[in-house]
Amino acid sequence: MTFDASSPRVANPAAAARATGFRRGTRSTAASIGLHTALITASLIAVFPVFWVLVTSFKPDARAVETTPKLFNESSLDNYVRVLSGEKGDFLAWFGNSVLIALLTTAIAVFLSATTAYAASRFLFPGKRSLMLSFLVVQMFPFAVLIVPLYNVLLALGLQGTSLGLVLVYCTTAVPFCTYMLKGYFDTIPQDIDEAGRVDGLSPFGVFWRLVLPLARPGLAVTAFYAFLTAWGEVAFASAFLSAADESKTLAVGLQVFVQQNRTEWGHLAAASIVVAIPAVVVFYLVQRFLVTGLSSGAVKG
Amino acid sequence: MAEVAYDSASRIFSGNPPVRAVDQLNLDVADGEFLVLVGPSGSGKSTALRMLAGLEDVDEGAIKIGGKDVTNVPPKGRDIAMVFQSYALYPHMTVADNMGFALKLRGVDKGEIKNKVAEAAKMLDLTKYLDRKPKALSGGQRQRVAMGRAIVREPSVFLMDEPLSNLDAKLRVETRANIAALQQRLGTTTIYVTHDQVEAMTMGHRVAVLKDGLLQQCDTPRNLYDRPANAFVAGFMGSPAMNLKTVPLTSEGAKLDGVVVPLSRAALGGASGESLSEVTFGIRPEALGIVPSSEAGMDMTVELVEELGADALVHGAVRIGDSSERFVVRVDGRTPPTLGQNVKVAVRDTSEIHLFHPETGNRLDG
Amino acid sequence: MRRFLDRHWYAYAMVLPVVVVVAVLVLYPLVQGVYFTFTDVNEATIANPVLDRPATYEFTGLRNYLNVLSGDSSYGAFWSTLVRTLIWTFGCVFFHYTIGLGLALLLNRQVRGRSLYRVALVLPWAVPAFISAFAWKYMFNAQYGIVNQVLRAVGLPDPVWLGQSDWALVAVVVVNVWLGVPFMMVALLGGLQSIPGDLYEAAEVDGATPWQRFRDITLPGLRSVSSTVVLLGVIWTFNMFAIVYLVAGPNPNTRILVTYAFERFFSGASRDYAVASTYGVLILSVLLVFASVYRRALREQGEVW
Repeated sequence: MTFDASSPRVANPAAAARATGFRRGTRSTAASIGLHTALITASLIAVFPVFWVLVTSFKPDARAVETTPKLFNESSLDNYVRVLSGEKGDFLAWFGNSVLIALLTTAIAVFLSATTAYAASRFLFPGKRSLMLSFLVVQMFPFAVLIVPLYNVLLALGLQGTSLGLVLVYCTTAVPFCTYMLKGYFDTIPQDIDEAGRVDGLSPFGVFWRLVLPLARPGLAVTAFYAFLTAWGEVAFASAFLSAADESKTLAVGLQVFVQQNRTEWGHLAAASIVVAIPAVVVFYLVQRFLVTGLSSGAVKG
Repeated sequence: MAEVAYDSASRIFSGNPPVRAVDQLNLDVADGEFLVLVGPSGSGKSTALRMLAGLEDVDEGAIKIGGKDVTNVPPKGRDIAMVFQSYALYPHMTVADNMGFALKLRGVDKGEIKNKVAEAAKMLDLTKYLDRKPKALSGGQRQRVAMGRAIVREPSVFLMDEPLSNLDAKLRVETRANIAALQQRLGTTTIYVTHDQVEAMTMGHRVAVLKDGLLQQCDTPRNLYDRPANAFVAGFMGSPAMNLKTVPLTSEGAKLDGVVVPLSRAALGGASGESLSEVTFGIRPEALGIVPSSEAGMDMTVELVEELGADALVHGAVRIGDSSERFVVRVDGRTPPTLGQNVKVAVRDTSEIHLFHPETGNRLDG
Repeated sequence: MRRFLDRHWYAYAMVLPVVVVVAVLVLYPLVQGVYFTFTDVNEATIANPVLDRPATYEFTGLRNYLNVLSGDSSYGAFWSTLVRTLIWTFGCVFFHYTIGLGLALLLNRQVRGRSLYRVALVLPWAVPAFISAFAWKYMFNAQYGIVNQVLRAVGLPDPVWLGQSDWALVAVVVVNVWLGVPFMMVALLGGLQSIPGDLYEAAEVDGATPWQRFRDITLPGLRSVSSTVVLLGVIWTFNMFAIVYLVAGPNPNTRILVTYAFERFFSGASRDYAVASTYGVLILSVLLVFASVYRRALREQGEVW
């Protein structure tokens, strides 16, 4: 990756064109080639690992460990067939569990962080500052070392071994950052809109539900993406808090059967990984156009 | 339709020391009246309006709409409609939905909403744009949608918070007239906030002038202009501003650059009652005139001439005591003096002289 | 009091769910975790509600802290691990930030196929961490990994990346940089887009060179977003357990504070919860100190945060 500091890029397209010289609206061919070369290189690096897993997923395990790289080597769909057929465990049940848990986490985390972020964005109430600071502090503690006390809490609440318990644990990890992000987004929605709604006859909750939430879609999309990823593919909590029965595992936990000591079934693992990655990438693709506005307003405002 | 009353209403922002944004405001607005709240920024005029809307707490006193105490009633229970400076249109709704939103919340029948929106849209020339989102409208159209949203409600009071300040000068003058005509036609009590004294003078039945949260004067535009209650109102209302100078007082009148301007008995009486040796002397630019050098008057050196077409404004320096004071004189636009010229300036009509207490600023002839 | 509730009950009603969840699932375990650091609790002595076994661990005062802070290697060689953690954290965040900024600047220009580039560049963020870890582990394999195959093909030395050497640390830094750049890039891109274009025009009229415009407009314009993402980046990287552990395993050459806490927690029959929690508290302390110093530094520069 090259970072060409001598010709910085600027926010305004007209100014950007001007930055390169006296010809307005055009860029020299050399600059164009440099720009695209840099972007293509970076994109290849970003995409390659995923691409390589995809290539590997079609190879038999034995071919995946050959010392000469090939795109195709006895490639077939066998790995997918074996993974999906449940030879190593009930793949489809795992998949269902993961979807359920990730969607529940997304829904609850978005709801929790949206209400909190709205209160923090619009109301001045005693304790607001300490609440927001505590959200920063809880991200500093490695919570996975608290699996034991968490286990006890969930047991006391009757949630140990249930999806809901795991979902709530995921929410505690996703909500702090999501709240910061959404507060920043809500801050960009003018207060006048809230007040117009109040005058038009909405209660404060009505304003939140009917005006602010619909206007905050980009922010909510990014929050949902973040919460989904938190839950999708997490291993440590999932293996601790879900019952050990095969049919209640999540994908991330279940797939660990492919990673055995000293002998990894690369081809199968790659196929399984692709299957797991697809939903995440789909969610990503749906929200990616919102990412910049949704995330940055949160980060800009802190 | 309703009358509105502020009863010693205050809004105090916590802080050290606490800021009294609106201080003991007493104001009665009659049913159907168009009242303008005017003042410089930070005068509390918007806060006063927002207190009436229920968007700002009333920390002391009470507010009544239609005789009913609404001090602790949330905005939705006050039967008011508000036009915001930014218009605050809902970006995710069409123009029609924006205008009908309040009715929808009240559970009004869909067909009826449609009729009322159509009617208001026709009144405001918005029929073509009903299906558009606010983003696709021009500034003037957005302003009209904001008006429409208020009209459709048929509220008992309209509240308008600087609704014209985001329009360009030409459109502002046009819309100013439209709003006044619309209010006349609907006969709805209207409270209108602006910092622009021209808007205040042209639109309001009565104008309330605020400064630092305190009501300075509330009267008809004519009376505000002719008999400002204090030096602040005198200086704020009218463009160009009134010439306000602190001058020595003699038994015959006010002493300006050797000339003694005779004063009315009421004013002199007010001044001598307080045994003042100085007064704040106020005279509007149009009450001054350039006279032939043979006549009595103040010597003024011309420093700037602003030609306005029909008139010209002559800015110049006059010596008062030891200091040089700036005066503005309105003269005929066809024969303005030239820069650097020395002219003689005299008061045309002594009845247009305003005298204020030099410390309190209050009007001296009561 | 009535007035207080009148005024604030909406706000409290809206934060209540989060406060309850956080109090029950974060605060309570955290307090218990801190308590653990003063005991000798482990798998054998902890209360087990399932087996109905009472707790038999004992209060040991500051012994865990003294053991860990002595830097003894049987307690994870705290100080040298801390140094490695700092190298890891600042190395990763440095590359996250510079590469992220570089790409954001490129993407902020009018360039054909911009949205396609953006999707490609953000992709690493969307891939679940354990899959990225697996992909890189496979690519870094000393014999059949594509990294070494390429290095051999162009005649460069092919180290054993994930073995017992500092190459392993380099490898996990590479993986984490790959993973973390998209977040920085997206956040900084948003920051760039919020800088008003007329500032650049004003600077150009004043005769500023491209470099001066970058230094005097772009960087100051990004200050607020940068200070936030760098702080978050440091916190997240400091505690980035998944990538280090999944790529390199329990390798002493990639051991950072948080992975050692996990080793103590998960591995071995003893499952030393006390030492794991002690590490957790120490990590929190280090980050709190960092955050307050960072904040003071920002405040001195006039940044409100």
